[in-house]
Amino acid sequence: MNKVIVTLVGKDHTGIIASVCSYFAENDINILDIKQTTVQEYINMMMIVDLEKCTMQFSEIVSGLDAVGKKVGCVIKAQHEEIFDMMHRI
Amino acid sequence: MVELGEVFETDTMIRDENLDVRTITMGISLLDCCDSDLDILCDNIYEKVTGAAKDLVSVGDEIGLDFGIPVINKRVAVTPVSIVGASACGTSEDYVKIAETLEKAARKVEVNFIGGYSALVQKGMTAADRMLIRSIPSAMAATERVCGSVSLASTKTGIDMDAVKLMGAVIKETAEMTRNEGSIGCAKLVVFCNPADDNPFMAGAFHGVTETDSVINVGVSGPGVIKRAISKVKGQNFEVLCETIKKTAFKVTRVGQLVAKEASERLNVPFGIVDLSLAPTPAVGDSIADIIQEMGIEYVGAPGTTAAVAILNDQVKKGGVMASSYVGGLSGAFIPVSEDRSMAYAAEIGALTIEKLEAMTCVCSVGLDMVPIPGDTSVETISGIIADEMAIGMINQKTTAVRIIPVCGKKAGETVEFGGLLGSSPIMPVSRYGCKDFIDRGGRIPAPIHSFKN
Repeated sequence: MNKVIVTLVGKDHTGIIASVCSYFAENDINILDIKQTTVQEYINMMMIVDLEKCTMQFSEIVSGLDAVGKKVGCVIKAQHEEIFDMMHRI
Repeated sequence: MVELGEVFETDTMIRDENLDVRTITMGISLLDCCDSDLDILCDNIYEKVTGAAKDLVSVGDEIGLDFGIPVINKRVAVTPVSIVGASACGTSEDYVKIAETLEKAARKVEVNFIGGYSALVQKGMTAADRMLIRSIPSAMAATERVCGSVSLASTKTGIDMDAVKLMGAVIKETAEMTRNEGSIGCAKLVVFCNPADDNPFMAGAFHGVTETDSVINVGVSGPGVIKRAISKVKGQNFEVLCETIKKTAFKVTRVGQLVAKEASERLNVPFGIVDLSLAPTPAVGDSIADIIQEMGIEYVGAPGTTAAVAILNDQVKKGGVMASSYVGGLSGAFIPVSEDRSMAYAAEIGALTIEKLEAMTCVCSVGLDMVPIPGDTSVETISGIIADEMAIGMINQKTTAVRIIPVCGKKAGETVEFGGLLGSSPIMPVSRYGCKDFIDRGGRIPAPIHSFKN
């Protein structure tokens, strides 16, 4: 398993999660978990995805998500899981 | 499994509070480059540095992308050049050739600084050490990326006052030779007491002779993260304040540990240390002075400042030590003036003076750092400032340093603009009373009584 955390922040509207999920489906990226909160009109979303079957370079995924983000008006970032584990787990 | 709140906490630190990996510094030993022929020595140095560090920048960028954390600087530190060049150099000009070789190698591997144009003379100077020290002004003027450092004192050996005197003149001459760029040569030159062999931060990084062939040392930074954390415990007691800094420092250092391990694995170079130092930049929100002020000090330099720096330095160490398997370097809080916007402002309004900075250096991780002083400051006064700082380090068994810039043609109160990470600052006034007779004594100050621990 090659776990990556994807975060999304932006103004909420219909179809944001659908666009991100379609991008993952097209590129063989499996979604393991989705969590989200909406504060006033802003959405904060986190996805844990598995890149095991994905053939793309990580840099391509980062720029692909960036393009999806621009289309839906949100900032989308992908980071390997270890940075969060290291910072928040002893 | 990570939680939503944790993920966004980390992202806020990176996005809004300037959390970053300040530097991945590769230490490279040049001892096996030694030759009695200067051209062969220079070729060996170029081949060694460009070979060992060829993937440093690309790997640093790749790690930054993978973990979504900016890796700001990629740098190289080499064995003190006075040792490497001892058998090949017959003149100071010969040493400048080595500096030019280091510059060429740094450009080839695209690192922004290469440190180690250094001499370790805390007990005495060899002929080679003297030649290197005398060559520093020309070397700093002839290169952009080469950094120099000279160790003048240690708790174990005392203070080499002949070298202190010489460095006063060398700093002044370096300022003169780079006068058209705000005497910027002095920003690449630092003198030390008790230097660290594995310090990843410039200008003082060098690869100690007791180190392995090559090594990865990492410096993290996040003054903005600490400041934001403290702002949430406003008005609460010191126990709460200290716990807050400690916990935040732990998180910041864990990022450094991760990046250091990754860099070490990907470059196939041993992991040396993580340096816990909080290093500011001139960017808004990336300031040590802001942390001190957030603790309740009106402006840095006001009464209470030294205690606040002591708290910060100690809690950063306590939080950081558990976060990394190997901690080293300088590990504490830097207090540079020009590189820290709020520090420079405090100097401008008269809240912060050199004398108060000196007191702060007793409890910070380094010393007088990036302090611009009037260009007409005498050589002896510069040596006197250095001697004071060396004495603080020697007696307190800590690293102290002086990176002071006598800015040619400028008087106290005027402003100097260095640009980039070096920032800008008002010229700070120095005491108008002299110490010439003291400096002219020459010789060596003996090691203090508590150095005899055997």
